[in-house]
Amino acid sequence: MIELKKAIKSLSENNVDFVIVGGVALKLHSSAYVTLDLDFCYARTKENLAKIVSALEPFNPRPRDFPENLPYFFDERSLQNATNFTFQTSIGDIDLLGEVAGVGTYSEVKLMSDIFELYGYDVQVLSISGLIKAKRAAGRTKDLLVLPELEALREALSDDED
Amino acid sequence: MKRTPEEKLLNPKPGSKIAAAKEFGIDLTLLVRQLRLTPEQRLEELQSAMESMEGITKARKKFRQNKIS
Repeated sequence: MIELKKAIKSLSENNVDFVIVGGVALKLHSSAYVTLDLDFCYARTKENLAKIVSALEPFNPRPRDFPENLPYFFDERSLQNATNFTFQTSIGDIDLLGEVAGVGTYSEVKLMSDIFELYGYDVQVLSISGLIKAKRAAGRTKDLLVLPELEALREALSDDED
Repeated sequence: MKRTPEEKLLNPKPGSKIAAAKEFGIDLTLLVRQLRLTPEQRLEELQSAMESMEGITKARKKFRQNKIS
């Protein structure tokens, strides 16, 4: 289980360029969906990787599939070695995505995001239309099941009604 | 006159995406309730749901362990 407030505040305090995607984004857009982790898409610049390290290091991140008996160093170099990460931390599971299927890399994801004020910070959250694209592209049963709800929310929040 | 999101969800127009969601089995009143909350309140509610789910998972594990031993 992720401690959302701690995670979002730490990323924001460290000025990380990130966009919340996945289940937490669904919830922020008023979905009834329940998730247990925080997924975010991040900019892969050297500067941003350093900010991510500062933001998450206090929570001792380790890849969830990494052998427990081996040491793991969470630093800029380890973040440069891959694009997507699934971390377990002392505040819960956090997934970092360099790219979101159906939407693109951070700059494209940011273009499809909305700003929510959370804990005193402006936080980028993938829009309902962006989430629909991502869920369609992911194509797993669990992704497709949320589409009717997302499409209903998009229609309800739209200014247009035929 | 334009209808509010809440009005659209509670009285979906036939053939609309909202009507399709209702037909699919989505409880639209849950969405209405979520829309009435602030984003931070939605996250608080999610956090609380996570805690409940974790509690259930722990209880289930304990039950299984007790059954084995």
